[in-house]
Amino acid sequence: MPTPSDRGPGSGSVLKRRVAPVRVEAAIHPVVVLAAVAAAAGLLTWFAAGRSKRLGPAPSEGRRYAPRGSAVTASAAQRLNHASSMLAASVLFDSGLEHYRGQFFNRVMYTPIIVSSITFASSLHGAGDTDPGSSRVRHAAQALAGLTGLIGFGYHAYNVGKREGGYSFQNLFYSAPIGAPMALTLAGLLGVVAERVRDANPQAPRLGGLPAGRVLALATAGMLAGTTLEAGLLHFRGAFQNPAMFVPVTLPPLAAALLVRAAGKPEGASQVGATWGMWAVSAMGIGGVAFHAYGVARMMGGFDNWRQNLIDGPPLPAPPSFSGVALGGLAALELLEHRPF
Amino acid sequence: MRIPGLGNAADNPQHGTPGDDPEHHPRARDGRAPNVMRIGEWVPMRQHRDEDEVDFAIVGTGAGGGTLACRLAEYGFSVVAFDAGPYFRPLEDFASDESHQSKLYWTDERIVDGENPLQMGSNNSGKAVGGSTVHYAMVALRFRPEWFKARTLMGYGADWPIDWREMWHYYDQVEDDLKISGPVSYPWGPHRRRYHRRAHEVNAAAKVLARGAEAMGIDWTPTPLATISAPRGDAPPCVYRGFCTLGCSTNAKQSVLVTYLPRALKAGAEIRDLAMVGRIETRNGRATGVHYHREGRWRFQRAKNVVVAGYAIETPRLLLMSANQEFPDGLANSSGLVGKNLMVQGNQAVWGVFDEEIRSYKGPPSLAISEHWNYDDEGRGAFAKDFFGGYSYMSQGPLPQLWANTQASARGLWGEALVAEMQRYNHVAGLKVVSEYMPQERNRVTLSDVEDQYGLPVARITYSWCDNDKALNRHALKFLRQALEAAGGREVWDQSDDTCHLNGTARMGHDPRTSVVDADCRSWDIPNLWICDGSVFPTVGGVNPSLTVQAVALRTADRIFATRAT
Amino acid sequence: MLPRKDLYPGYDVLAKRDGPSWNAKTRAVLDERLGLGPQTRRFFDEAEWSTLTALAERIVPQPADRSDPVPVAALVDDKLASGRQDGYRDAGMPDEREAWRRGLRALDAEARARFGACFHDLNAWAQDELLKLAEAGALTDPAWDGMPSTLFFKHRVLGDVTKAYYAHPTAWNEIGWGGPASPRGYVRMGFDRRDPWEAAEAKPDREAEAFAENLRVGD
Repeated sequence: MPTPSDRGPGSGSVLKRRVAPVRVEAAIHPVVVLAAVAAAAGLLTWFAAGRSKRLGPAPSEGRRYAPRGSAVTASAAQRLNHASSMLAASVLFDSGLEHYRGQFFNRVMYTPIIVSSITFASSLHGAGDTDPGSSRVRHAAQALAGLTGLIGFGYHAYNVGKREGGYSFQNLFYSAPIGAPMALTLAGLLGVVAERVRDANPQAPRLGGLPAGRVLALATAGMLAGTTLEAGLLHFRGAFQNPAMFVPVTLPPLAAALLVRAAGKPEGASQVGATWGMWAVSAMGIGGVAFHAYGVARMMGGFDNWRQNLIDGPPLPAPPSFSGVALGGLAALELLEHRPF
Repeated sequence: MRIPGLGNAADNPQHGTPGDDPEHHPRARDGRAPNVMRIGEWVPMRQHRDEDEVDFAIVGTGAGGGTLACRLAEYGFSVVAFDAGPYFRPLEDFASDESHQSKLYWTDERIVDGENPLQMGSNNSGKAVGGSTVHYAMVALRFRPEWFKARTLMGYGADWPIDWREMWHYYDQVEDDLKISGPVSYPWGPHRRRYHRRAHEVNAAAKVLARGAEAMGIDWTPTPLATISAPRGDAPPCVYRGFCTLGCSTNAKQSVLVTYLPRALKAGAEIRDLAMVGRIETRNGRATGVHYHREGRWRFQRAKNVVVAGYAIETPRLLLMSANQEFPDGLANSSGLVGKNLMVQGNQAVWGVFDEEIRSYKGPPSLAISEHWNYDDEGRGAFAKDFFGGYSYMSQGPLPQLWANTQASARGLWGEALVAEMQRYNHVAGLKVVSEYMPQERNRVTLSDVEDQYGLPVARITYSWCDNDKALNRHALKFLRQALEAAGGREVWDQSDDTCHLNGTARMGHDPRTSVVDADCRSWDIPNLWICDGSVFPTVGGVNPSLTVQAVALRTADRIFATRAT
Repeated sequence: MLPRKDLYPGYDVLAKRDGPSWNAKTRAVLDERLGLGPQTRRFFDEAEWSTLTALAERIVPQPADRSDPVPVAALVDDKLASGRQDGYRDAGMPDEREAWRRGLRALDAEARARFGACFHDLNAWAQDELLKLAEAGALTDPAWDGMPSTLFFKHRVLGDVTKAYYAHPTAWNEIGWGGPASPRGYVRMGFDRRDPWEAAEAKPDREAEAFAENLRVGD
């Protein structure tokens, strides 16, 4: 097949001048650099948090892969760190994808990727820490995430408002998603709570002077409601074209209601219903990835056209944020029941 | 293994082109028709012999004919729908190329004259199964209610014999059938049901319109479009490839080819592609069937009813060509109005250069719209209205050949001036109207003495603006220019010669003396001859007509079914 | 008037040929078009061909150093030879093929009458003068045989020649158009946004960046 040998009407001399130096720089793709920086930030956090302190032998010898702290506070804290890692991972990949779509038009857009990587690392670190005492590095990292999410929220909100059409459905659908940065705040919040719970009295854990279980149950119920709003908005954008799209707007509110009810029960009462609700929402978050993958396959060109469809299709990393919040709910139930499970 | 709902989206259609030649050999034959949603697959098709007297022979399979064929077949009538064009498989036959895709257009010869001769061929007529909906811009707008009583309420044109509330019901139905993607709430007109899909993301060209509208203090909205923003069955959502007016190769566009016609086939209709109808036969005042040219010879299909749905040039041409001893002036022409009152719509534009990269080739061409001047009858100050009718205007996305031709023919650039200007392609945005021109009897379709490839007389199309049309053009260009400049456009220039859409050459009405068909699209003169396309419009309004053509077709089907005893 | 520039350095739309932006039909269509050489002639005779080639160079001039120029005359010839029509003609015009033959012969006749040489032997200035007269409808040699030169210039010359040139990938590179797009379309549609598979525009003093980006459009 003949191909035009010249590329546009450029003069030869111009072409020659610019050939050599550029290709060397181009060998490392900016995205690779970003990934490396994010990973490095995470690793740094991990090492900065130090070795996990193990005071005494872990009692559950049968579960070597994920040893649990014996105190209910430590166990709940670890679960909270699971929740936080799940959310941070979701934010890491989702913001990576969405901000790649936005071509990192503003340098600020690198922030959530670095910060969520740090959060992810510190949450993972905490997840393996059976010790009741908190870590100052982790605490700081989680607080940073919470703050970053809030700033991001403000930033996104400002961006939507200044678009043509202002705060219209159109811009809520297609410009910077208002709710998305809040996922990072939730990750940070749950991470901070994890550290606080570690420090709390295992017999009567309290948060901010209030009973920890109750506070956390109500807070995660609220988080579930918020996440539902976000999913609802985006599934409305997709016109609920598949009946499965109704699941994330019906199941989580029900589970949240169970959490609220659980908070009202006397301390130490059994929380079987709410526990099942949380597990169901967690499973939904993971199953959602499969449904979203089906959605991507259904776009024109399917996965062959991944450069378009991973971005334009349903976001693969988004649904696990539900699982993250639900794990937080489980931690709350643990504290309410006064026993690790 | 194929997962239901995946359609062909997961099969990258890089894997081959079909071996047959749809432009020269019919595909709908041997008891099957192409399954347009899936590569290489077929669907069964009921077939009729020429000697069988079918309930309906429908000439044309576009917005009017295709929609009607579907509903009539679903009502249980036996239907044969003819189309002069090929039966394309969009996933396999459509290239991303302007030149090649001109195969979708009706490019048989036509002669144009008058003071403002029309440009035919590309944007206003299609020759393919599915008609011009295969390459339309998918803009799905309702008429303003008052337009159905334009003469009584607004003092111009003619009244429609249909009440707007009835039309509103049929609009609901078409919008559901096509799963229109539109804004959550539409700023103009009476309440309507929410669109079935959300509006598409708007591109930079559309944001230019938005900026301009906001600066001028008028409303704008993402355009309701017949291309899906979320999957539907085997159709994937729009990928914003920008070739909409050259045929959608992904089936996101909800053309008649991929919506009503598959339904029609399922309900037992027969579609004959590459079948050019040249004459309607009559006997004792009734139509008895159609003569059509297919596979190299003329044939005759008997039918109890004939529907003409060839759009506003071919419909009057066929009626006039069918003149016989019984009807020496052509069929359905006792009023003398067949071919008269041809209405196009203004398609003037302003274009400007922007500092930002616009790259308007991405996405459907008309992603944003303002209908302000369809609903504001007064205007103020410099923009006081001094004409009847109104206009909407939309953002634009011309591809290189069209853009070069616009720069050359409409702006007069050639040589170095042209190639240099073309290099600013990615920085250009424009606003283009769809405006309401008046019906005039002098604007008409007649038969010339030139013959086409079938030996049939070529249509002669005569068109001139009236003073009202010119006043509207002035207002529109002045307003658009100010809006574009307010949005940041520089070096703004007017494209003042373009038109779009064809309507009105067989108008409907209450009175046999002043109209060709009644409200049910049945001709006054021949009780079993119907006309169902844009030809029946008494007025055109300031919006794209396809949604209204389809709503009228749905109504016609209901009326035929309701009055079938007679 | 702005000068013509190398605005999209290094951009070659054909680099995307084997990627998800081109479907099989597109590749087949473009292969056929790119198979037309500068001397592929099926419709015009030799004299008409020379006039058309010279005429095309005036309507869509190409850089002298372009090693593989767009075969504009061959593309126009191909349209006429394969019988693709616009679908309408002004009542004052003959059909497309006849209009082209008559118009080219008339231009040549005008050139000889006014300058004493064939159209293609005239210098650019003289050719442009004639074309401006045609554009204004001021050419009335009997060779036009009633066809208004202004309609010939507007409908046939401008229409067919510009469409021929901008049907070619080399012209797409020049204006930075994304080119064929199916099954893959576009993602980033806002102001100043481009997908990695679109042409990058050279901003002042940042040509190298654009060049590097443009080498990657086919990735």
